[in-house]
Order: sequence, then structure tokens, then C-alpha cells
Amino acid sequence: MSEINNITIPEIATITEIKDEIIEVKTFYLSFDGRQGGQPPKFTSGQFVMCTVFGAGEFAVSLPPSPENDRFHLTVRRVGKVTNALHSLKVGDKVGIRGPFGNGFPFEEIQGKNVIYVAGGIGFIPLRSSIMRVMQNKDKFGRVLIFLGARTPQEHMYAYNIKEWKNTPGFEMNLTIDNPVPGWDGDTGFVHTLLKKKNIPVENTVAFVCGPPMMFNAVIKELIDLGIKEENIISTLERHMKCGIGKCQHCAVGRTLVCTDGPVYNYRQLKTLGEQF
Amino acid sequence: MNYKSGICTFCGTGCGHLLDVRGDKVYGVFPMQNHPVSKGRLCVRGWNVHELLNTPEKITTPLIRKDGKLVEASYDEAVSCLVEKLKKVSPDEIGFLASPRSSNEDNFLLMKLARAVFNTNNISLDSDPGHRISLDVTHGGTGMAGMLGSLEEISKADFMLIVGIDITKQNPIIGSEIHFAARKGARVVTIDTRNTQIAKLSNGFLQIQPGAYKIAIAYMAKVLVDENLADVDFIKKYTEGYDSFVKVLSSLKESEVAEKTGVDIEMLKTAARDLALSRSAMVFFSSGISGFDRETVSYIFNLYVMAGKIGKEGCGVNPITGINNLQGSYDMGIAPDLLTGFQSLSDGTVASKFGKEWGVNLNAKAGKAPNELMGKLKALVTVDHDETIIRNVNEVSKMDFVAYIGSYQNNCMNYAHVVLPIATYVETDGTFTNTERRVQLAKKKIEPAKNILAGWQLLSKIAEKAGAKWSYGSAADVMKEIAKLTPSYAEISHDKLAVGGIKTGGVNRFDVEKAGRKIAFAAADANFAVPLASEEYPILLLIGESQHYWHQNNLMKKTHIPLREYNATLLLYPQGYVAISPQKAKELNVRDRFPVKIVSPYGSMETLAQVTDKVKPNTAYVAYFVDEMVTKFFMEHKDVLKRGEDTTIPVRIVKV
Amino acid sequence: MYLINKSQVSDIAKELQKEYQVYGPVMEKETKQCMFVKVDDIAELDLNAPIPALPPKHTLFPQFERIMSYQYDKKNQKVDIKPDFDVSKKALFGLRSCDLTGVLCMDRFFLGQEFVDDVYKNHRKNMFIVTNTCNVPFKQCFCVCTDSGPSAQEGYDLNLTDLGDQYLVEAGSDKGKALAEKLGLKKSDDSHKKAKADVIDKSIDKFDSIAKDNKAWISRVVNRVTTGLIDEKVWEYIGNQCLECGACSFVCPSCTCFNIVDPVTGPETADRMRTWDSCSYEGYSRMAGGHNPRHPVEDRRSKRFFCKLSYSQSKKYLRPGCVGCGRCQWVCPGDIGLPNVVTYIRRDIQK
Repeated sequence: MSEINNITIPEIATITEIKDEIIEVKTFYLSFDGRQGGQPPKFTSGQFVMCTVFGAGEFAVSLPPSPENDRFHLTVRRVGKVTNALHSLKVGDKVGIRGPFGNGFPFEEIQGKNVIYVAGGIGFIPLRSSIMRVMQNKDKFGRVLIFLGARTPQEHMYAYNIKEWKNTPGFEMNLTIDNPVPGWDGDTGFVHTLLKKKNIPVENTVAFVCGPPMMFNAVIKELIDLGIKEENIISTLERHMKCGIGKCQHCAVGRTLVCTDGPVYNYRQLKTLGEQF
Repeated sequence: MNYKSGICTFCGTGCGHLLDVRGDKVYGVFPMQNHPVSKGRLCVRGWNVHELLNTPEKITTPLIRKDGKLVEASYDEAVSCLVEKLKKVSPDEIGFLASPRSSNEDNFLLMKLARAVFNTNNISLDSDPGHRISLDVTHGGTGMAGMLGSLEEISKADFMLIVGIDITKQNPIIGSEIHFAARKGARVVTIDTRNTQIAKLSNGFLQIQPGAYKIAIAYMAKVLVDENLADVDFIKKYTEGYDSFVKVLSSLKESEVAEKTGVDIEMLKTAARDLALSRSAMVFFSSGISGFDRETVSYIFNLYVMAGKIGKEGCGVNPITGINNLQGSYDMGIAPDLLTGFQSLSDGTVASKFGKEWGVNLNAKAGKAPNELMGKLKALVTVDHDETIIRNVNEVSKMDFVAYIGSYQNNCMNYAHVVLPIATYVETDGTFTNTERRVQLAKKKIEPAKNILAGWQLLSKIAEKAGAKWSYGSAADVMKEIAKLTPSYAEISHDKLAVGGIKTGGVNRFDVEKAGRKIAFAAADANFAVPLASEEYPILLLIGESQHYWHQNNLMKKTHIPLREYNATLLLYPQGYVAISPQKAKELNVRDRFPVKIVSPYGSMETLAQVTDKVKPNTAYVAYFVDEMVTKFFMEHKDVLKRGEDTTIPVRIVKV
Repeated sequence: MYLINKSQVSDIAKELQKEYQVYGPVMEKETKQCMFVKVDDIAELDLNAPIPALPPKHTLFPQFERIMSYQYDKKNQKVDIKPDFDVSKKALFGLRSCDLTGVLCMDRFFLGQEFVDDVYKNHRKNMFIVTNTCNVPFKQCFCVCTDSGPSAQEGYDLNLTDLGDQYLVEAGSDKGKALAEKLGLKKSDDSHKKAKADVIDKSIDKFDSIAKDNKAWISRVVNRVTTGLIDEKVWEYIGNQCLECGACSFVCPSCTCFNIVDPVTGPETADRMRTWDSCSYEGYSRMAGGHNPRHPVEDRRSKRFFCKLSYSQSKKYLRPGCVGCGRCQWVCPGDIGLPNVVTYIRRDIQK
């Protein structure tokens, strides 16, 4: 945590660039007004921040940038009143940021292992941070396999990153869409069906999974069938949040709070929480 | 002490609350434990009333439309404009649309303004004719216009019939009382087309076909006759007209009942027997916008009279009002043919009593409800509500002059030429009459913002500008005049109204011993037709209120937590929804939130499917109060919709 | 320990009023309802009033509270944020031990976890607490089952016990002791300690039998709630009766859920408000996209009782979340206050 205390009161950041990702999803690059060089507070992959759109409200959003040497940005889908308001902002407008909060993805602990990323739709957003960080430290990891599912080719986001990773040695990229369309040369079908097909490594492997509930459950089942241990399957939960600091209780899952005990859980932990996902 | 006692003004239950008032703001709310009805309970709406009172969406200044735009004006300018415009229109072409949310004092003065100043009897509520039917039936039968039982006596009822009302959502605290009584051993039977929460909490649940309430109730009456369970002594001693009612029942056949209601005939029989054999019994049904037709209400009333469950402790026929002052509005003569306290305008002595007090000659010819005059009216004065406007957008937008009076912004303002703000219920004194005729006083707790006038002050100002001499110094003065002119309010004055208020007529409930007359069976016919589906339109579409819509959400939209709760469905189904059964969904090959089209003989609309086991396979359900979704569809079905809660439209639903 | 004459007990409140805003039990005249509110006239305080309908929770965690306000100048792309906390010094006078226990639960929750809640801390940091031993329990009370009464054991500055013609005054902090000394109270002796024990014993005797005879009745369900070994049908039975009003959370001395909204106050200004919220509401856990992980009402109900009774949650409060005040039983339109829920769960265990 930096010396700037933004736990209760947001600090102000300026939107420096806005990128259209896919339909209803935009990426906002931010510069922090109160910090040297506009640099963000220190954070790690898998954490989230609370973002205030002034006059509309506040929402929780996961961090897609790598904590090492990446431009700070948020990628947000337009789903409700506040995210709608964010989408109407332009470059130069201000937002408020509290955080980062949450536990974050493991990094040091998984060095030397094979890493699998499985993402469905906008579940890609939180995983991007970890993928970037692993890419920046590629020599410390084994095989890196990335499986990205989307309904249509137009719904694959971070196209510029995908291009870069495809050319990264040691990165195995697998993109799929739900149904075949002309001009698509990648795989088709739901993303969990690819895992067996692509012969993923099982020993000494950690899998990161994020996506909508149906996809999530199918992927988990497939990974466990293939022999990956429950504690090596890592995911991040999304819940309705109001405070981010473990007080408002909206994000309670079982005996834990997603904001302070999560959002990152391994599957063994998720199973004991006693709720449906 | 910063907590000030008051009355919740959302629904017709009239719960007691304490508001946390500091300076000019309300910071919170707490239930009142010693209130005779609510006894320390509030519902989700009541617990968050402070959010509504703090809304920035209040009307803060009078407005006049100039070049198509509403611009700020003074009260003087706006009132002059209103009076000038109304004076130019013939009284037959002026309509007054009152609000069932206004206090008795405000409604009384609006009624007086219409009749004594602008010489028109075209005044009514938006929610005509729902509650009027209940009032006509109870008044015709007993002389008392309103609920015949008492909410305080729910705990003394052994048997309760809940007919077509989702009471734990519409009037949660009444639902709670019924639930408490059931837990202590009372038998509760629900007859409804949908599996509501009260249905789940009942001992018996009869999920009947849409439109079959009347035949189901009639059959219960027939069971009493056939099995000699009618209370013969009671009938002989206290009633008249029994024989002709029995005659009407004679044509009813068991097989017909089974087919039309779609429920196990034995269950209906058991319910009838339980009613007859109980020591005391009550019936609850919805009264208001979603009320029943006259025939169904008459049968409910007759059933309870023949069972001898009326006018005694723990007994009663109880029409439940959804809006806080619906009962009081009728009591204040908000109807084309009524003066206060259900006194008839056509009664010469009554009219001359009012005329004398007001110094005018009243026009004794009944007017018409503005709803029925759409297309003919040239000017409309509307207070606080906007349902009629929504249903009659075309006609209203063509009028020469529309005035809107209210505390909060709403859709009506879009059509208004003059907008006149009034104080909210915490900014002025006012009485409200709940569903059981309980008159309660909500006292002024904070100063209105920036010289905003109270309703009674504004109406006085209008009257004076129009040349009348009104001289009320307070809302209490208005009540003095009401009491003087209204036998059932004769005992009521602001200084006598303490916690719990006073019931009209000074009686807790209808008492057969003190009625001073015989109870008359209501006229009823033997037409038991139910709406039928056809091959072309195989599904019966029900129109009703919903858990998640409360009076068009006009007030809920201005809050945070109730908005979140009441808009739950709307967030999931942004274009509205039609509830269909899982079985039907499978047939149509649609899942939850898939787009579907509803086609009826009169019109069609596209919406999303909500798949739920709350409806039967051959029925579907849309909520009444969603202007975003159904304005057009409901306009196409305006005539059909007059039947209220029992309205059904045969439709077919297709996948889009 | 000290003594003060009954007629002089309000001197303590008067002394406190010099430095603090004094809150205490007051009977609302029209409704005869006891509320724990701010008093301007110390004479309004009533130490013999029934347990306040409104618990003192709102002094630390108000129903509707501004935590910041801001201006946003859209044209010039400027924002000005002002933190806006209540920092007034408050004294709570005549608090009952159940309600003090609620405050201690909130302290541990708001101040003792990973993050400290600044808003709560500002309410709490300058607070003076005077508790009052309950000598008459009310019909819904069961603090003897939740180890939170009838007399306060920790967390007070001064604790009063009615010994007939005088009050025993115990100091629980240096602040309390200093005040007692300042008022020149006379010292008590061992006989008074014994008298206090008698008062407590007599008070316990007056509890309803359900509370008295089954002192373990809450602890018996803690295990079940923690492990989740409760038949789903029990939760369904309870859920069917829930009218989703939120009252149980609002009146609970230890419930802390809140909602945050940013209502606009002008063309370019808004407040950030924090308001009470309840896990019984459907919208409470629903996400912006419409997915609701806790949609059925019985799931929401089981969540609340997990919070009040489970061991995992007790770790946060260092005791069970329920303080035995029984208010949820008063206000529940579904008749599923905590004592009833405990009864249903025990009935299921016994099967």
C-alpha cells in the first residue's frame, strides 16, 4: 500500500485514452493525478479497484494490466447505470479510484510450472494481467497454453495482445468461437472441448479459469477429468460489491468475503464455500 | 426527541412509523410498536420511505409552458393562468382527476373546487372503478361503504379466504397478520390464478383458471345450500333477499364448475364447509385498480352473508385497498355522483346542505369520470398520479389545457401547461383513511422547501383567484368542514386524532346488531361464462400487479433500495416480460429471457419470456404497471381491461 | 466501585453533556415507545424505560449517512472531493448490556479486520459509554442464552446497577474512573458487590422459561449452522415466511450491512451516502448484469443466520453475532425472528 490513503475516499485519475474492445466493452487508460508521473498505486495481478464515475456511483472492476511495466487501464463492459455513465466519458474526464483490493493471483509460487489459461468472453479481462506478467517473465515458466472462447470472432477482445502472444515463443494460443463462420480459421465449439483435443500437460500444471457460470463449470469438470488437482485450478469470483474493504458484506460467499478473502480462490476452496457458482 | 410519529403513506394498510427528523431533513424511519394495525412492523417500502422523502426529483417551483417548454413562474402567475384557462372552457369540458394518495383535506377541497367553483361534476380517481364496486356492494348490502371487518380482529378469525390478492406483496403487514393468525391455528384458504406467497402459507390453495373466481365462489355458496350449511337463523333474523339468491345458484352444475375452475371440486367443497362451520371468518380481496368486477364482489359478499360471517367479531368482507387513501378519496366525494361519506349528489337534501354551506347552487346532475370523457374534455386538472395520462396519451396531448399538481416529478408534467408543486405529507398536516376506514393524522414535521404551498393552501389560492371566498387557516379547519357535512366523519377532528386514529362512523367494524336495518343480499346473475382459449389463441393472458411493480413505480423510482428491489425484474427483463410456465417454454423452444411475441385478437407486443412455475401451462401473465413495456398494448386493450384483476385476454405466444 | 444516590444519577449525564452529545433511552410521549436518541434535556432520560425499540447502533452506524460530497465540473474536467464524516463526541447513557455487546461486535468488525472503517472510527473514537444493568427482562429477551447480559462485563466506561435507593457505579476505564472521581462519588464496599450479584440473580429468575431453562439453546445450533448440516427443507420453511422487508437487519445491534449510493444534489454535485441494507433483499447480491448468486429467498435467509450464529462469523466478532435482545422477533412480519429460527433448527436436529 502506498502512503496515499484511498481506502474510503477515492483518489482522482484522468482518462488518457479510450479504446473500443468489442461491442459494449471499452478500455480506459488512466493517469493518477496525485502521483508522480501519473503512476498507479502498487498492485498485483488478480486484484481489483473500486471505480467512481462522478455523479453516477461506484463499481468494482478487476485489473487487466500487468503489475510490471504496463500502462494502467480498466476494461469495462456496459451493464448497468454506472458502467453506462463511464462509457459516456471522454479523454480528459476524471474518475475516482479506490484500491487496489483483494488477494491477487499467485505468481512466485507457480514459477517453474506449466500454466494454462482458460477464459470465456469477458472472463479474459482479469486473466490478462497474469498472462502479461508471465509473458514478461517467460523464462521462469514451463509451457504456457492460452484458451480463449467467445461467441463470435468479433467478440474476441484484446486483439492486439492476442497478436503479440501468438508471436511469443513458448506461448500456445488457442482461440475458439461457438459456431463456425466463414473466414474463421481457429477452432470452433465451446472452449472446454479444446482442452482434451490440445493435449494439455497435467503434471506440474496450474490452470487459471474465468468466465460465465456454464462455461466455468464445464471447464472445471474437464480439467479435473484430465487429472489436474483441485488446488491447482485457480479462478476469480465476481460479486456485487459496495465497499471493497470487507465491510458492506454484499460480496459474502459462504464464510468468506470476495473483496478481502478473494477474489482469487482455488477450486478446492470454492467447493467448500457451499454456494453454487 | 428527533423521532416524530406519523403514518406510512404508501399502501392502504396505514402502518404507524416514527420519522427521524433533524432540521429540514428526514434521516430515517422506525416502526411504531403501539400502532393498532402494524404493531411494530413495516415492509420494504415503509422501511425506506426516507429515501423517497430525500429525492432530488421533487417539483421545486411552479412552472408554466411557454413555447413548448416549462419555465419557472410564481404561484400567482401559474394559478392565474390556470384559472383563466379553465374559465374559458365550458364546465362540461373540464375534468378533475384526483389522486388516491392525496390527504382527505386536499381531496375534499379539490372536490369542492370542481363542484362549487368550476361548476363541474366531472371528477374521479384514476383507479375508478375498482374500489367503487366494493363500496357499492358493501353499502348496498349493509349501509356501510367500505371494509366490513377490522384488521385488529384478524387474530380472532378462525377461517380466512384470500381471493386473488398477492397480499404479502401488496399490503405486506395485512399479509403478516393473516400469516400470524394461520400460525396460531386459523384456517387460511387461497383462491388465486398464481401461486403467491400467501398461497404457500395457506392450509389450502386452489389455483383456478383465469376468470373463474365468480363461478368458484358461487359454487361454494351452492355447497352451503345443498348441504344445509347456510346459517338459517342468521339469514332469517338479519337479512333479506336470500331466496332469490338461492334461485340464481340453482342452475350451477358441478361438472361445469370443475371444468371452468380447473380445480379439484372436493377442495372447493371443503373450503365451503370450513367457512360454514367456523366460528368466525373473513375474506380478503383486492380493491382498487386491480379489483374484481361487480358480479364477483357480489358473490363474495353473498357467500359470507349466507354463512352468517358478517357483522360479528372476527368476521367480515374485506376489500383491501392498494393505495393509502383510496378509501378516504371516496369518502371525500371523489366520484362524479357522490358527495362526502357516500352521500348521493342526486339526494336533494344532501345537495342543499352542501350548497348552503358553500354558498352556491350545486349542479345535481352526476358528471362523468374524466376517463370516460377522453376526446371530449378540453381541460384537465390532475393531481399526483399519471396512469390515466399513460393510457390516454393521445387524447390528453390534444387538450387545450392540462394542469398538474403534485409533489414529485412524473410523466404527467410532459403534457402539462401549468405545473403546481405542493408539499409532501411530512410538510403539512393531513388525514388519510386506510382500508379499514381508519382515519389517521400525519402531522407536519418539516418546513416545505422554498415557500412551497400545502395542497389545501394551493387549492384555496385557486378558489380565491376564481372569485370564491375560502378562508381555511389550517388543514384542521378543512376537517371541521368535512365533519360538519359528513355524518361518518362527524366525530373526527385533528385534535382528537391520536395514535391509531378514529374509524369513520365511530365503529370498529360493521355490527349486525347495530346496523338498524337488514342486510340485503347483492343482486347477482347466473352468467358463469369464463373467458375461453381457442385454437387460434390458446393461452389466457392475465393482467395484474406484480411483486416488482408498485403503482407504476412512480415513487419507487425515486428511491435507492426499493428501486433496486422493485426493479429487479425490470433489470432482468429490460423490455418487460411475460411469465410463462416451464412446460410452455419447452413447447415454444424458448428459455428464460428469450424474446417472444404476444398476439391477441386486438393487438400484439414483443417482450421477453420469464419462465416460472408460478403460472399454469395454459396461462401467461404480464404485470399491469410497466409503462415502459405495455403502454401501447394496453391501449389496444383498453376496453377489455375494464374488468380489473379478473381480466384475461386470449392470446397466442410465438417465438421471435 | 462507587455509589450514587438515585436522585443524583442524572448528574453523570449532565456532567457528560458538557463535553459530549448525550444519547439515551427516552420515551416518545405520543406513542409510549422507548427510543435511544440524542437528548437536549437530561430530564428526558429514563433509566427504567423498557429496552429501546431502536438500538443505539445508529449512533455509530446511522440509517442514512453522508460520507463524502463532491463537485464535478464537466466542462473543465475538474473534480473536487470532500470527505464528510460525523466527528462529534458522543456519550451513550443507560445502554443495556445486549446493546453494548452489539457495539463491541461492531467494533471488532469495523475496526478489527484487515481494513479499518474510517467512517465508523470517527463515530467511535471519542465515545463515552455508561451501561445500566437490566433488573427486569422483557418478554422477548434472551441475553442469558447469548452471554450478553443482564449485566455488562466489558467495554463500558461506567456501569450502573440499581440497588434500590442508590446506584452502584463501576468504572471500566480510566475515563470512567476520572469522571466518578470528578463527581466526588463515595466509594462502595463488598456488601454492594454482593447486592449487585443478587440483583443479577433476581433478574435472571424473571426471564421467560425458554431462555432460562435452556441456556444452551443458541449454542446447540451454532454447530449445525457452521457445518451447514441443516435440512434444506428447514430453510425453505423459513424462507417461505420471509416477507423480505429487511427489518431484522435494521433492528439488529450487530448487523452492519450497508449500501452506498451517490445521489446527485445539484447539476454538478453529488453526495456519497451510506445506508442500512439487508441480506434479505433480493437486490442485495444481484450483480449489474442480472446474475444473482443468492436468488431464492431461503438462500438469503440462511445467509443471515450463518452471520448471526456460525462459528466462522463468531471469529470476527469474538462471540456469536446474536446478542439476545429479541428485537428481530418483534419486528418480523413473517414471525421468523432468530429465536423461532433456532427453534426450527433444533426441532430438525431432534428428528
